[in-house]
Amino acid sequence: MFFRKSIVAATGLFLCIFLIVHLSANAILLLPETTARELYNSYSTALRENLFITLIAYLLYISIILHVVYAAIITFRNTKSKGEKYKVNHNNKNSTWMSQNMGFLGVFILLFIVVHLANFWAKIKLGIGEDVGVDVNGNVDVYEVTSFLFHNMYFMLFYSVLMIPLGFHLYHGLKSAFMTLGFYHKKGLRLLAKISLAYAIIMSVGFGIIPLFVYFK
Amino acid sequence: MKVTFKIWRQENTDAQGELKAYEVDGLSEDMSFLEALDHLNEILVLKDEKVIAFEHDCREGICGQCGVFINGRAHGPHNNTTTCQLHMRSFKEGDTIVVEPWRASSFPIVKDLVVDRSAFDRIIQQGGYITAKTGTAAEANAILVSKEVSDSAMDAAACIGCGACVATCKNASAALFTAAKINHLNKLPQGQPEAHRRLLDMTAQMEFENFGSCTFTGACEIECPADISISNIAEMNARYVKAKLFG
Ligand code: HEM
Ligand code: FES
Repeated sequence: MFFRKSIVAATGLFLCIFLIVHLSANAILLLPETTARELYNSYSTALRENLFITLIAYLLYISIILHVVYAAIITFRNTKSKGEKYKVNHNNKNSTWMSQNMGFLGVFILLFIVVHLANFWAKIKLGIGEDVGVDVNGNVDVYEVTSFLFHNMYFMLFYSVLMIPLGFHLYHGLKSAFMTLGFYHKKGLRLLAKISLAYAIIMSVGFGIIPLFVYFK
Repeated sequence: MKVTFKIWRQENTDAQGELKAYEVDGLSEDMSFLEALDHLNEILVLKDEKVIAFEHDCREGICGQCGVFINGRAHGPHNNTTTCQLHMRSFKEGDTIVVEPWRASSFPIVKDLVVDRSAFDRIIQQGGYITAKTGTAAEANAILVSKEVSDSAMDAAACIGCGACVATCKNASAALFTAAKINHLNKLPQGQPEAHRRLLDMTAQMEFENFGSCTFTGACEIECPADISISNIAEMNARYVKAKLFG
């Protein structure tokens, strides 16, 4: 029980760190078009050619799988531990909605990850679908893939709206992971709650506005 | 004062239970919730119907017997209180009040509102005590304990074992109870010699009893009559990780 939950927490925290790096890179998309294109493509090429990053990427895939599998196992077992549900339950009076619905929120994130990997990873790394062109510097034109995708209103909405469940998941997840792994300093926990809120807002709003921005650019 | 109780009636552990409605008149706002149930039971006796089984003992908030789920909350609408300390003035004339037993598969229903909480006793049996020869009481200042340590041990020791934490938890986790019982002893010098074994044995029993895992919804610390802080669970986790990694 401790072991499984610690895996969810540790992989979750790793994913949280990844999100910071990922958002920082995606912020390039907010720059004027020509600069954004060159910078984004050269950055992406540098990442693909870096052995260390390749290793981290594999760690990332493994983390996502472990996180989902162990989270599913504990959610399933916890539901069994609970057994019959109350006829009337006002748990909104004693806990936040996200803390009660982490699995539900996670399903949306999983859906997002699958579509996201199909849109980018499958296209650029596996070369599935039409060929991706190169830019003036000879770098694979990842910017074009992004820009093309976000000019489709449905994908733009999909990428923006699904950042809402991500934000909710992160708000509870970040605090919870620290406590699962044994952070118990009382004043620290109050600070942690604020940091989690700030982190969740920055991540969901940050990732969420980029598709909108590109669409209307 | 007149209210409608909807109360969970279940003959025994294996029987099918259901909510049954009772309109009850003649209540006073000054009655405790348990007295209102007593009042209803007296009416049922006169009508030659089976009385509602519910647990209680001290009726002053210290024994932990009186746990029931009232209108969707453990021990009723207020935070950090027991059912016996809840009064009818917390409800309005004409209210419908739904009363259910604690729900957790590790707390099987015995009858109506009574559940079997002996899983808690078995966790205590794994180390919620200090193995020491009981002679005469030792001189109080023989072992010095600092104020901070004694305060935080006392905060954890306040747990009355009512089971509200398990009852309110969506995972039916007993982490708050177990953490309180472990930390209370492991913080004090008297608890040190057995601290390690206590931590591992009591948490192992908690898992063996099939309580769920803690996901820090925080519901338990809101419903706990003894105000046990959820940071106790994080502290238990910290010591557990340390014990597993460094022996
Ligand atoms: C970017 C992706 C994700 C990040 C950064 C993330 C982060 C986290 C973190 C930090 C936790 C807290 C661990 C703890 O409570 O100790 C957590 C819990 C959880 N995650 Fe995720 N997660 C992600 C994706 C997913 C996905 C795709 C699913 C499922 C389909 C999922 C399901 C869960 C569940 C069920 C829990 C917690 C159980 C609970 O507290 O009730 N997560 N996540
Ligand atoms: S009857 Fe003892 S705590 Fe309520």
